[in-house]
Amino acid sequence: MPKVLIPTPLRPYAGNQESVVVEAGTVGELLEQLASRHEELRKHLFTPEGKLRSFVNVYVNDEDIRHLEREKTAVRPEDTISIVPSIAGGAPIAAGTEAPPEALSQEEILRYSRHLLIPEVGAEGQLKLKRAKVLLVGAGGLGSPVGLYLAAAGVGRIGIVDFDVVDASNLQRQVIHGTSDLGRKKLDSAAETLRDINPHVQVDRFETALTGENALQILRDYDLVVDGTDNFPTRYLVNDACVLLGKPNVYGSIFRFEGQATVFAYPGGPCYRCLYPEPPPPGLVPSCAEGGVLGVLPGLVGLIQATETVKLILGVGQPLVGRLLLYDALGMRFRELKIRRDAECPLCGEKPTIRELIDYHQFCGVPRAGSAAEEPAGPDIDVLQLKAKLDRGDRFLLLDVREPHEHQLCRLRGSVLIPMREVPKRLEDLDRNQEIVVYCRSGARSAKIAQLLRASGFPVVRNLTGGILAWSDKVDPSVPKY
Amino acid sequence: MIRIDEAPWEAMLEHASRAYPNECCGAMLGRINGASEKLVTRAVPLENAFGGPQSARYEIRPEDLLAAEKAARAEGLTLIGIYHSHPDCDAYFSATDLKHSCPWYLFVVLSIREGRFNHACCWKPDPDLTRADREPMMSPKGEF
Repeated sequence: MPKVLIPTPLRPYAGNQESVVVEAGTVGELLEQLASRHEELRKHLFTPEGKLRSFVNVYVNDEDIRHLEREKTAVRPEDTISIVPSIAGGAPIAAGTEAPPEALSQEEILRYSRHLLIPEVGAEGQLKLKRAKVLLVGAGGLGSPVGLYLAAAGVGRIGIVDFDVVDASNLQRQVIHGTSDLGRKKLDSAAETLRDINPHVQVDRFETALTGENALQILRDYDLVVDGTDNFPTRYLVNDACVLLGKPNVYGSIFRFEGQATVFAYPGGPCYRCLYPEPPPPGLVPSCAEGGVLGVLPGLVGLIQATETVKLILGVGQPLVGRLLLYDALGMRFRELKIRRDAECPLCGEKPTIRELIDYHQFCGVPRAGSAAEEPAGPDIDVLQLKAKLDRGDRFLLLDVREPHEHQLCRLRGSVLIPMREVPKRLEDLDRNQEIVVYCRSGARSAKIAQLLRASGFPVVRNLTGGILAWSDKVDPSVPKY
Repeated sequence: MIRIDEAPWEAMLEHASRAYPNECCGAMLGRINGASEKLVTRAVPLENAFGGPQSARYEIRPEDLLAAEKAARAEGLTLIGIYHSHPDCDAYFSATDLKHSCPWYLFVVLSIREGRFNHACCWKPDPDLTRADREPMMSPKGEF
């Protein structure tokens, strides 16, 4: 009968025999017989799905069965069957880009010397950093300083979720990208910068928007999450996913001259929903793209997030839990608000009602970017149609709803300025019998005003889709984009 | 715990320096002393069969490993593990090493810098090849 030679390490699972004689017609039958006779051997040879493990090769005499008929290869009574693992490997191409999580190399000891000198960090703390896995949601204003400093500090694995490309208007604050990166994927640009700062860091790239479908999958692998998002749907999404997975959410937000930071979803601490159970009405809180932001602001707020991240990894100090840190750049003042976990919180309270991720765009009443089906209803007008309309000399009101300083920067000829927040007070000034075309920078604010005007009984209101940006792209490039 | 005798240790270092700047690989034969100690008494250099640039890759032909295993049996020894070198790189178990390893054996990695031996580590992959733990190692050069 065919004889199977058992590799030494597997002999304890085969009754300590050097070889086993098995009656079988094919290699497949033989392996199955062997495994059913020695059940313990099974898991060493087969995956739980019953497939031969990737490293297991089977030889009939001196022939690899892959060169014969694989598991259907016939075996004769006089054959000897050997089980041989395939082995390969190699150092990474760029030496030193990976290192064991168990030890610091000489190069790392030198690199992290200023950390190793601090008793609260030391080699033990540095190894904690090295083993840490941090996910950055967004490689923008906040993600830039967080990524730069966490990489420099030696956080072993940094995941980045971003699907944007580097735009000239990013460079005023998103310091992880440079002028030569314009037009590149932010992920590529950021990964390259981080690798240059610290080749020991593994950068995982997720080129996608974080969604209810992928968030748990992406977050699952990381120890903590740094929220660098600029919109409410993603903020609630990050919060909910962190609470459901039990991972701290290091939160920061910025607007113009003011910033906020705290740590949500820390054991015993509050979550974002404890602070803000409901999102603000759509359009009430402008984003940085709409309202602007002082370029240095995300630097400071991002570094508060980075500091909290490093503290959480090291397990030192007082984490910013249960405290919302408010920063006012103009007054150069920090204030702190106490925030508590809400026992009634639908997510992290005593009787949670949210047990899975939901549709966050719907929850926040915000249409998904780029999904035409969910654009606000109404007869909109694009820039080329507007150009034709102006050229024809049609009579209508061209209403600019941006802020005065934006109007000063650039405007469409013949337009009347009424800043967005003043429109509701000045409805009486508008002629209800005249057609109105509303515009802003990107078409977002004007869409809301167009809706408001329609709801207030104005019969013909059109929103200029794409706003000034589209006008500059498609009609008159001399109008600056900002 | 893996203990490597002087003769195989010298053979491994010589092999690794000779192969520099490429990676070398080979088999470690010896005896299992009780539950915890594995003693390497013979090193068998094997050919690096990787088809591309070998400065950061190695591959062992299964038939070569089979021959080493046969040689071990013939001498009453056991195949204890595999050694390979990392030229100008530390002796950790890389993701590539892990992915193409086998949990049945111990893996000694030799760091060779500018052609000279620098340090070494021994690794034991887990059954699903998801991680490898450090295995204490005694060499004639001391403990690693």
